[in-house]
Amino acid sequence: MKKFRLMRIVGAFAATLLVGSSAVTSSVPASADSSSFTYQPSHAGGTLKLLASTAGGTLDPQVNYTLQYWQLFQASYDGLLSFHKVSGQSSFDVVPDLATALPIVSNGGKTYTFTLRKGIKFSNGAPVTVNDVKASLERLFKVSNPNAGSWYAGIVGATACLATPATCTLSGVVVDPSTNKVVINLTTPDAEFADQLATPFGSVLPATAPSKDSGTTPIPGTGAYYFKSYNPNTKLVMLRNPNFKVWSAAAQPQGYPDEIDQVFSNTPESEVTMVENNQANFVFDPLPSDRLSQLSSKYANQLHVNTLTAIWYMPMNVNIAPFNNKLAREAVNYAIDKNAAVKIFGGSKLASPVCTILPPGFPGHVDSCPFQTPAGSTYSGPDLAKAKALVKQSGTSGAAVAIVATNDTVNAAVAQYAASVLNQIGYKATVKLLSANIQFNYIQNTKNKVQISLTQWYQDYPQASDFLKILLSCSQFHPGSDNSINISGFCNKSIDAEMATASTDMISNPTAGNALWSKIDQAIQGGNAVWAPLFTPKQIDFVSSGTGNYQFSKEFYMYVDQLWVK
Amino acid sequence: MAGLGVLIFIVTICLLAPIYAHNIAHTNPFASNIQGSTFINGKRVMLLQQNTQGLGFGVTPIGPTWNFSHYFLGADDQGRDVFARLLYGGRSSLLIGTASALLCCIVASILGLIAGYFGGPIDWLLSRVFDIIWAFPIYLLAISLSVVLLTSGLNIGPLHIGAGSLFLPILIIAAVFIPYVARPLRGLTMSLREREFIQAAIGSGSSDLRILWKEILPNAAPSVIVFFPLMVAFNMLTESALSFLSIGVQPPAASWGTIINDGLGLLYTRPWVALAPGIMIAITAVSLNILGDGARDAFDPKAKLRGSI
Amino acid sequence: MLAFVLRRVSSAVLVMFSISVLVFLIFFATPGVDPAARIAGRSATPQIIAQVRHAFGLDRALPIRYGIMMDHLFFKQDLSSYVNIGAKVVPQILQAAPITISLVLGASVLWLLVGIAGGIVAAANRGKFIDPLIMFLGIAAISVPAYWLGEVVNLITQGGLHHSIFSWVPSSGYVSIFQNPFEWGLHLLFPWLTLASLYAGIYARVLRAELVNALNEDYVRTARAKGLSERRILIRHAFRCSLISIVSLFGLDFGALIGGAALLTEVVFGLPGVGLLTYSSLQNLDLPVIMGCVMYGAFFVVLANAVVDIGYAFLDPRVRVA
Repeated sequence: MKKFRLMRIVGAFAATLLVGSSAVTSSVPASADSSSFTYQPSHAGGTLKLLASTAGGTLDPQVNYTLQYWQLFQASYDGLLSFHKVSGQSSFDVVPDLATALPIVSNGGKTYTFTLRKGIKFSNGAPVTVNDVKASLERLFKVSNPNAGSWYAGIVGATACLATPATCTLSGVVVDPSTNKVVINLTTPDAEFADQLATPFGSVLPATAPSKDSGTTPIPGTGAYYFKSYNPNTKLVMLRNPNFKVWSAAAQPQGYPDEIDQVFSNTPESEVTMVENNQANFVFDPLPSDRLSQLSSKYANQLHVNTLTAIWYMPMNVNIAPFNNKLAREAVNYAIDKNAAVKIFGGSKLASPVCTILPPGFPGHVDSCPFQTPAGSTYSGPDLAKAKALVKQSGTSGAAVAIVATNDTVNAAVAQYAASVLNQIGYKATVKLLSANIQFNYIQNTKNKVQISLTQWYQDYPQASDFLKILLSCSQFHPGSDNSINISGFCNKSIDAEMATASTDMISNPTAGNALWSKIDQAIQGGNAVWAPLFTPKQIDFVSSGTGNYQFSKEFYMYVDQLWVK
Repeated sequence: MAGLGVLIFIVTICLLAPIYAHNIAHTNPFASNIQGSTFINGKRVMLLQQNTQGLGFGVTPIGPTWNFSHYFLGADDQGRDVFARLLYGGRSSLLIGTASALLCCIVASILGLIAGYFGGPIDWLLSRVFDIIWAFPIYLLAISLSVVLLTSGLNIGPLHIGAGSLFLPILIIAAVFIPYVARPLRGLTMSLREREFIQAAIGSGSSDLRILWKEILPNAAPSVIVFFPLMVAFNMLTESALSFLSIGVQPPAASWGTIINDGLGLLYTRPWVALAPGIMIAITAVSLNILGDGARDAFDPKAKLRGSI
Repeated sequence: MLAFVLRRVSSAVLVMFSISVLVFLIFFATPGVDPAARIAGRSATPQIIAQVRHAFGLDRALPIRYGIMMDHLFFKQDLSSYVNIGAKVVPQILQAAPITISLVLGASVLWLLVGIAGGIVAAANRGKFIDPLIMFLGIAAISVPAYWLGEVVNLITQGGLHHSIFSWVPSSGYVSIFQNPFEWGLHLLFPWLTLASLYAGIYARVLRAELVNALNEDYVRTARAKGLSERRILIRHAFRCSLISIVSLFGLDFGALIGGAALLTEVVFGLPGVGLLTYSSLQNLDLPVIMGCVMYGAFFVVLANAVVDIGYAFLDPRVRVA
């Protein structure tokens, strides 16, 4: 049957090589806003019941790559840095967490110096020491963290750790227990390093934590909650951390529920019904389409909608027929009605059509829809006649095309619609539906000769490079591998050079940098029609009538620990 | 007689599906029609309607118009005419359902009778085969096969089997239910074997084949006839599970099973989409059932003599 | 008797071995199913994937991998999931088993009662109106997809009518009988009814046909001639011999359901039994759990069929048990 597996793709930030060594004194955005949630003790207590149809994998914060558990890790683990725990745009800011202040960046951006706070304890009572910090960074390599080879490969000593993880001693991390200082040395400056430390991957764990993926066994943490038990078939239980005292409400605020449960093995339909009947507080899975109307009429004040910078798109393989022909790709862009795709998703209140690679509201985004008649800044609709003409002109008429998508309801429906349209303009299109567990790696591997597919991309940082560089640069195209996130296989050396320039510009002159990213976006999509972008979705959260204080973080989405059940 | 009549009626309207779709409903049941519209009571109505109440989320296809000229049972989530698809779907479903049930019953009868009659090592071997088939995780095979078919297709000798081939679901479904028919027949045969008239036949020197054909089979046949329509119903439902896993009928083609799958996503708003194919499967199975009873009564000499129904 | 038991045990081992080999081969023959890439996670470098592959023994030859997995499953008993690292397969199955057993036992009692009663009533009143009515209801119930029926039951009991007629129906999920027997029954009530309705029709249909057949037999003619009442003939004579088909079917159905075939019912009603475990492990392509569930299911299929074969001897003493 239909199962939703949520994987938020965090941009794989390869160490950004800066051209020319500029004397950078600080590449960590200073957080001017130290605001935080005001705690109201009268609402503390009770048990929060979250629903998810399936478990989210391992409880190890240095391995798990799903939003489902990052939502829980943000309340149970802390790193040297963390994302600002407020709502709104500031929730993307980096603030000091276990460190006393933002790091001192020196040595041309290659050395980060932190001072660890005193007096913080793990949930098992042991105090947090600088040795734990060093051990946690080394542990990233020992447990084969997915981004050990990209995000953290810039730490001095990482190369040795990648080769022999079992004996990893990061020479680039120097700690001094007498002064409580932690110094991290990088091989090259990295503008995103602070953000990378702020994610749950950067959590500080006890040095005694096991050197392999801990799986279903919880590891003690410093957060407001700790994991009491975990049965992936039935439920996960979190309780208040008895050793927790608030040291920075901006980084790790006090939580309200005494207990947080995530209950598994119910269907999304049952889950929605349970929240409607106030038998549970929140549904993590996407809401079934046929409940949306009822929900928005009867339970409107329990629905929360937030804009996401994410995109549903159809990458076209530019290296094999028929989409190695630019006219064919343009024809697809002219033919598909983005408003129809929006309708399938649930209507114009839940998604907006998008014609560029960077979604609206994103730095570097410019409103521009080139593939419509007439071209303009907002999407006006398809032009089938023009599309048919382009197909004829391209000489690819009659080609067999297979659209590869996942077999859940919405994806399958969008793919079927697209196939129907491609048939209308002169192709012989079919749909190949694979389970979500297989499809994502399948469409990346060039051996499978995927011509066009349907997929999504969610970002974590408001950085244009996360879309353009990660998804469309030459270094992200690995022919024959299951991990080649440049699904289109688009590789253009001169555009790559411009991307490098833009990355450099972002540090000293973000305005110029974003302007250059816009140009790159236009060049790739407007100039080459590499994708057929469809729409950007909104996040809908449905909470029960007995749940209060809904707060949304752009990084972790709903704050589970800030919900009131009393 | 009623059974036969209903069956002929269903088969006929399904065969006439193209005529209905083309000339009466004027619709293409395989093309998506998300932004399309139709006329109800003289007013133009969008096929997929945006919700306008409350926060305005959700898009719902139109419900049944109860008007044969268009969208009799309403539209599905691609804006296609459900009734037209139902008729087209009948062709695939009836083909897969009856072919696999036929194949299953024939093979199961042969194997069940042999196992029950001969006993000993033959029975032991066949019973183990039945156990393996019955305990086998058919969905694992289906998932695996579907990926193989979708990616490269299967090549067995000169045959190339692609994703939309109906061969494969017929074979798989037939194979999966062989134990279900064979084991009861085996038990029945074991019981019949000890009866006086069989013992007499053996004593009089009849060959095993003759005994199986002339004595056992006619006594086991009524049971097989009872199973057949039940198997047709089961098989049509199993087909829907396999289609969901991309074996058998591929979108945009339809079968009653795939329409049920579509309908499950519309259960709260448009229950008819899932209900109608289920009703069709039920009616087909019931009429086959009645037909089977009639056939058995017609051919069973004892029933005739006793004058019972 | 001993010889029979020994033969059956060796049969069970053979069947389970064959199925395990087939499952193993099919899993690794499926393209795009490399467990290492999926365990390693998104954007893992080839280096990381290679490390994971080695850690899980996926770089060894196929027969060796099979041997290692069987060793961990049966002897060391520490086989763990590819998807939920650290979750051992055998404890997961043992935790899920009581739920499935509760569901299937209750449902089977219901469907046997209803099915047998329906079959007897239909055969006793053959030709009258009630006969085709029962048959029609039975076949209609079989033709309903399990998942659809469950969703509709939920729709009615949890949805619109939840606040009026069905307010006593608890939310989906399972409560252990040791925790609270009343809640256990209440949570399982509608799953029992749903699962039972899917099978009752077949049993009624088959039993009726067998009874009608049996009523045409010579020994029945004799019994009638002797002056026995129709009802006595039906129950005491025809019924026993008609049970062979029913018992065969029940063995197959019960064995399969205990082993996890009730998965759609478990999914719809949120019961974390063996069926749901099998279903989610298939979706996740989690080979160790798939293997564990399949072995568990195969064992019960063989066991159920062995019991049925013994049962034949009781029902029809003339039958020699193989």
